[in-house]
Amino acid sequence: MSSFWRRHRSWLTPVLFILPGIVLFGTVIIAASLQTVWVSFHDWDGIGPKLWVGLGNYVELLDDPQFHVSLKNNLIWLAVFLLAPPLGLALALMLNQQIRGMRVLKSLFFIPLVLASVTVGVVFGWVYDPTFGILALIFQAFGAKAPALLSDEHLVTFAAAFAALWPQVAFCMVLFLAGLNNLSDDLIGAGRVDGARGWRMLRHVVLPQLTQVGFIAIAVTVIGALRSFDMVAVMTSGGPFGSSTVLAYQMFQQSIFSYRFGYGAAIATVLVVIMAIFIVWYLRGLIKAEERSA
Amino acid sequence: MTSLELRHVDKTYGGYHALRGISLAVEQGEFVVMVGPSGCGKSTLLKSIAGLETISSGQIFINGRDVTHAEPGDRGIAMVFQSYALYPHMTVAENMGFGLRMAKRPKAEIDAAVVRAADILRMTDQLHKRPKQLSGGQRQRVAIGRAITRSPDVFLFDEPLSNLDAALRTQMRVELSNLHAELGATMVYVTHDQVEAMTMASRIVVLNRGVIAQVGSPLELYRNPDNLFVAGFLGAPRMNFFAVTVTEAFGRIAKVSASGLEPLAVELDQGVVIQKGAALTLGIRPENVAIADQGASGATMSGRARLVEHLGRETILHVDAGPLQCVAAESGAGTITVQVGRPMGLATDAPISLRVDPRDVYLFSSGNERTITTRKPVLDR
Amino acid sequence: MYPRPIAPTAAAHRTIYVSLVALVLVLWLLPLVAVMLTSIRSFDEVMAGQYWNWPKKFSLIENYTAVFQQTAMFRFFLNSLIITLPSVAGVLVLATLNGFVLSRYRFKGATLVFALFVGGNFLPAQIMMIPVRDLMVKLGLYDTFYALILFHIAFQTGFATLFMRNFISALPDELFQSARSEGASPAQTLWHVVVPLLRPALAALAILTFTFVWNDYFWAIVLTQSDAVKPVTAGLNNLRGEWVSAWNLVAAATILAALPPVTMFFLMQKHFIAGLTIGAVKG
Repeated sequence: MSSFWRRHRSWLTPVLFILPGIVLFGTVIIAASLQTVWVSFHDWDGIGPKLWVGLGNYVELLDDPQFHVSLKNNLIWLAVFLLAPPLGLALALMLNQQIRGMRVLKSLFFIPLVLASVTVGVVFGWVYDPTFGILALIFQAFGAKAPALLSDEHLVTFAAAFAALWPQVAFCMVLFLAGLNNLSDDLIGAGRVDGARGWRMLRHVVLPQLTQVGFIAIAVTVIGALRSFDMVAVMTSGGPFGSSTVLAYQMFQQSIFSYRFGYGAAIATVLVVIMAIFIVWYLRGLIKAEERSA
Repeated sequence: MTSLELRHVDKTYGGYHALRGISLAVEQGEFVVMVGPSGCGKSTLLKSIAGLETISSGQIFINGRDVTHAEPGDRGIAMVFQSYALYPHMTVAENMGFGLRMAKRPKAEIDAAVVRAADILRMTDQLHKRPKQLSGGQRQRVAIGRAITRSPDVFLFDEPLSNLDAALRTQMRVELSNLHAELGATMVYVTHDQVEAMTMASRIVVLNRGVIAQVGSPLELYRNPDNLFVAGFLGAPRMNFFAVTVTEAFGRIAKVSASGLEPLAVELDQGVVIQKGAALTLGIRPENVAIADQGASGATMSGRARLVEHLGRETILHVDAGPLQCVAAESGAGTITVQVGRPMGLATDAPISLRVDPRDVYLFSSGNERTITTRKPVLDR
Repeated sequence: MYPRPIAPTAAAHRTIYVSLVALVLVLWLLPLVAVMLTSIRSFDEVMAGQYWNWPKKFSLIENYTAVFQQTAMFRFFLNSLIITLPSVAGVLVLATLNGFVLSRYRFKGATLVFALFVGGNFLPAQIMMIPVRDLMVKLGLYDTFYALILFHIAFQTGFATLFMRNFISALPDELFQSARSEGASPAQTLWHVVVPLLRPALAALAILTFTFVWNDYFWAIVLTQSDAVKPVTAGLNNLRGEWVSAWNLVAAATILAALPPVTMFFLMQKHFIAGLTIGAVKG
């Protein structure tokens, strides 16, 4: 037996190494995801039997006004989140100096990144409070009364998305700072010798070198916008009157609060299909970059 | 018993045929150097012997055992890598003892082997240091020490001196040769540097595009290259090659000439048949081109010294001999390279006459580029 | 260096620049500062609607101790620790094993496995919610620590594998070849040669994973119910609902909940940043 092992250990060992990871990840993540798609073809309250309805849930979705609200809100989130890479880049550009004390200042800028979304949600809940929030303070300074953002059906999604933007900008900032650190001094020098300054230098010499980092920043930001849940759950609970739900939250509502697991599964599936486009795009870019450097 | 034997070793990967029908027998205690230009397959061959790469067909025997399908650790080999590949987090002693530790040998045995190796390499007071605290030469010794502790049947060296500076390289060359003499072990050594090959090898294996071009002792290969490739590979500055035509052929003598080259009567090898008018390549080493007195008769070629390189103990001239152009020349400009073993006061573009002894000349057939001249004596008198 | 470095001799420029950055920093962290301010305000002032003036009475100690004495925050904190630490350990082990295999061995489907690990990590939690919850109920692990630990190990292994694989790929090939030619088995190579060289990577991964797991909210509310098991993220949200008008207490609780990741971040900042950017930037 031990000679069998010795003879075959060069390929057996790696198999055994990767097995637990694959099994765990495969069951809990991959298999679960596929199972949800299966559930989406059924009507199920979580306890009783599952009733096959085929594409019934999806058809219902098409006419569901709440679904359209969620879709619209996801788009709003996407639009707001797309501010993160440029803002992150701007902050990174501002902070990229080696002056004494910059390290401390930089690390303080990173703080929103390590806060739990719950924390951000609670914090911004106060920022937006029309009585004692920072927003209220600003409006009162101008003698006006602050709008209750979280109670306004038209503005609530924007408010939530901007709250989530805070850590997202910090993340992009970290990425771009790293990217700026890895710029080729030679290329910058050549640019300066060629007389490129300010905007032209940024556009023609610096930004092209930041493409890889920028790609990741955009990909992660987009995926983050589409799958946002925590902020909505903590700040608005989908309200007021369901005007701030996003697909992720609506799924949660339908499953946990309305006991319509099949319907919820359908919403989740739609969400994944939309995200799949971006996930595949990101994976493609990742693998291509690997092959190029190999 | 042969220490290492390769039988028709072939390796293809992707669509690329890296090794073709390599057959070689290395005797116990030999120092065999495998040399060739980059891409010739020497590293691939070494890694195949080590078992780090698999071969497509053929067999490999070490001390009579068929190791063709054995794991590297079971082949009885030890390898010294180009970048030393020392484990950065281990001390010198731990690096050297790693193989024995993996084989679960008793600690006393491991310690004894490490101390013995450190002794041979004079690294005894470095045993506790980490690789980053050592110089390049010391790291090289640790890599060798790691091989010694495993008491392998065959030592394999993969361009071990390439990462060292010139002075250190010369020193290590001598040390490695001494080590070989002291251990009496079989060593297979890969390098692209023909100086290393010439000075260290008991036998040289010249590889070209996956095929063995020639095997033999250094002087044998130098004086009697089998083909144009080996002739041009060994020796620096490189042999001069000219395109010549056979003007007359009688018995074993062929008279060859080219425009700008006085006819030379060269002795061919036994059994070689050559036709009048045949196109051949003529080879003559730079050190075999002598300077003739200006205007005297018997000059083989003449021209102007375009570039004179003064190296102190010798002078290298690059001569433009008019219509006679060197093929694939060292200097790239078609000039003839002449090596004179003494300093010379010669002005650039000075006219110069050169003389060549036909007995120093090599002729290569076109097509298969094999040497057709007769064997030359390897050592003088 | 881009933008153009401010010359060390231009002291005036430097001061202006640093002041500007400090100003932006204050604006940037204003929400957090506001919360911190509230957390040291006394209850009376909060009741009296005094939110923005300098606190007349500093109730730092009172508020923060009250959080532990009057709320279940201490329990939540403990729960978070019990959930996060084993998860991090599990992830480090699996990621190292997976990363080792994926970086050193070519086999059919290796790219697919790798893509699944990375892609799976981007899936929204909702697509797994129902079956995972079901699985935990069936296994009898619902509302226990094990449910969250199991899930987090499984999920975080995706990104962590990418991370470790990139790091191990960067190790010189000849190191592995040398170990192999010396007769080391793959397991021996991993343990004796690779793992000692992975220390910085493991540190970075440990902090990142700690932060991700500690900050998780969704799975906390899906897989737990009772206060005995709930981590600090879900707990904080509940707290906010319960102690509606004691803003100072809730603020203190919020700061407390944020402390561990922020502290870890400041202690191991270099590793944290390195970890986030390792996939992003070459070199």
